[in-house]
Amino acid sequence: MAWPLLLLVAVPIVAGLGSLLAGRRRTVEVLQCVSAVTMLASAVLVADRVIAGGSAAVEGFLHTDALSAWFDLILGVVGGTGTLYAVGYMGESMDRGHLPLKRYRQFFCLFDLYLAAMLLAVNLENIAIMWIAIEGSTLSAALLIGFDRSKEALEAGWKYIILSSVGIALALFGTILVYYSSEHVLGVSSEALRWSELYRVAGELDPAAIKLAFVFALIGYGTKAGIAPMHTWLPDAHAEAPTPVSAMLSANMLSLAVYAILRFKAVTDKTVGPEFSGSLIIVLALLSLAVSSAFFLVQRDYKRLFAYSSIEHIGIALLGFGIGGLGVFAGAWHLMNHALAKSTAFYGAGLVFLRHNHKSLERVTGLLDQMPLAGTAILVAGIALSGLPPFGLFSSEVLIAAGAYTAKPDVAYAFLALLAFAFATLLYQVLRMALGTPGEAGTAPGRQCRIFTGAAVGINLVVLSAIGLQVPPRLEPLLASIVTLFGAGIEVPR
Amino acid sequence: MSLLSQQLGSQMVNLGSALLLLTCFAIVAQRRLTACVDMFAVQSVLLAATAALVAFLTGIHHIYIAAALTVVIKAVLIPRILKQVVERLNVTRELVMNVNIPASLLICGGLVMLAFFITQPIIPLGFLLTRDSLAISLAIILIGFFTMIARKKAVTQVIGFLVMENGLFLGATSAAYGMPLIVEIGVFFDVLVGALIIGIYTHRLQDAFDSVDTTKLTTLKE
Repeated sequence: MAWPLLLLVAVPIVAGLGSLLAGRRRTVEVLQCVSAVTMLASAVLVADRVIAGGSAAVEGFLHTDALSAWFDLILGVVGGTGTLYAVGYMGESMDRGHLPLKRYRQFFCLFDLYLAAMLLAVNLENIAIMWIAIEGSTLSAALLIGFDRSKEALEAGWKYIILSSVGIALALFGTILVYYSSEHVLGVSSEALRWSELYRVAGELDPAAIKLAFVFALIGYGTKAGIAPMHTWLPDAHAEAPTPVSAMLSANMLSLAVYAILRFKAVTDKTVGPEFSGSLIIVLALLSLAVSSAFFLVQRDYKRLFAYSSIEHIGIALLGFGIGGLGVFAGAWHLMNHALAKSTAFYGAGLVFLRHNHKSLERVTGLLDQMPLAGTAILVAGIALSGLPPFGLFSSEVLIAAGAYTAKPDVAYAFLALLAFAFATLLYQVLRMALGTPGEAGTAPGRQCRIFTGAAVGINLVVLSAIGLQVPPRLEPLLASIVTLFGAGIEVPR
Repeated sequence: MSLLSQQLGSQMVNLGSALLLLTCFAIVAQRRLTACVDMFAVQSVLLAATAALVAFLTGIHHIYIAAALTVVIKAVLIPRILKQVVERLNVTRELVMNVNIPASLLICGGLVMLAFFITQPIIPLGFLLTRDSLAISLAIILIGFFTMIARKKAVTQVIGFLVMENGLFLGATSAAYGMPLIVEIGVFFDVLVGALIIGIYTHRLQDAFDSVDTTKLTTLKE
């Protein structure tokens, strides 16, 4: 039995339910810290085990291969720092009297269940049970987005739940179609819903049914991944949700949705070849890039700015997966770096919001002077997100551009043009926020808030910089097996 | 099973699926909110009956459990919740529409044709017994989707979502002979929780906006 794997999924659930029942605030804080540390540690241990043994499993329930382990790392590390950040952020709201203890406990219960549902989803081998877990994360996210109960938050939450429900319903139809075609090969049993079995018999599945299933899964899970034109819920939800939730939406949930698409893509590629799924993904990815670049210019709200940047980066990662080969490697690498950088950016944005209580981009300047922690977070994350070295997003974007250039030059031209535009606008706004002289004074967050949010930002920045210059040799086997899942094996570049 | 009884069974399943599709049109053609909820309950009963028929003809017993859950959750529990929402919110019972009824019905007719067109290449793959159910289930999903877009009240959007779920369930039980039991129970649980959460949201929207007309949600835009 793989204990780290079990802990990774079970501890957030226990901590969440414990927080709901806890009598005192201190108990909730201790539970959350334990949960955060467990998530961080067990994600690393699970990945370690998969690197050593190829896979990890809790018999009959969880199964982790290289792709799952990669997303365990993303979700576990960012989920851990996100929990620490939430303790600081929500604690500050409570200290200021905006949040009664009962709502504080409810928040952490929902937050932990949300993280647990996502961690569960990436470690399940049954595609239908994976759907159930993803739907669970959708539902808890809906309550978290509307948590503030302001008009704007309710509107954003309503938009999210309606669009995601439709998306997730279409994804279930895609899942049913896979089952519809696989049960003729594997028989009417739950075997016909296991990834490993589907990969094994992919060659015998009906090509037309699998193509149709992929289209439904792409549109369905694509809605959850926020790719254009199904992205309309995303900026609203990211802007109106409490900031710890915005960070988790962007870093974890969008990555999870991409994971689901990738699972379907792997089956489709083995059945009908990579050309079909690849070209569909490339079109949607370029559209997402175009939409996000266009809306970068008109943003007046710093949380919305980062939200559009998420649409951009998910588009870039998908472009890599669509191109295939080296692009798959770059896409996976991009997702991890994006999750770390974007959550850091939101952590900074949340601190700014706590201080000034508004989200207006124009009125925020001189953060480095006024709030060194938030300023550093936004500046470093902003530089990484613009795709500048020495961060991993630079190398993945170069690799994707190079991959696109060899496979489809037209795609590479469009990609580079859109990328240059997004680079300029994002970097301009981030520099303007971070540098200069501070405007308004605002109310500085308390000491406890600074400690917890500082820890979250610190861990993220350390990991982001550590993996920025080169892929750690320990992670290479993991990436190599992910690339093999989508076709030909290649040498992982150093 | 003899050929004759198999053909008869196949026709019965098709009849059930067709009746389900008919109730979709009835929902689209309704003017009153409570009547919409009633039609949804009728549709769920028909769905359970069709699923039970498939269970009987194929001898796959766990589909009976799914059929029973459908009756309890979708024909009794959810319609009751929805009616309570309608009562308590005191919303005007008349529906607000983006598209009028005749045009809606025409569009839905088009959606049915689209569904058959999309699924045409994979229909021969299905089991003989339930061959046309897949196309019909996709048609129901599309009509549910359309209802969500074309009607403005929050409650009607919920009904549209539930109709989509019914279409999915028809696809899962009939076309694919039922997903494994654990999957079906999980899906039911999610649908129930989803309906409850949407119910909570309609209450809060009513409190905040004094209305459940979703066209009033216009604060957030570019």
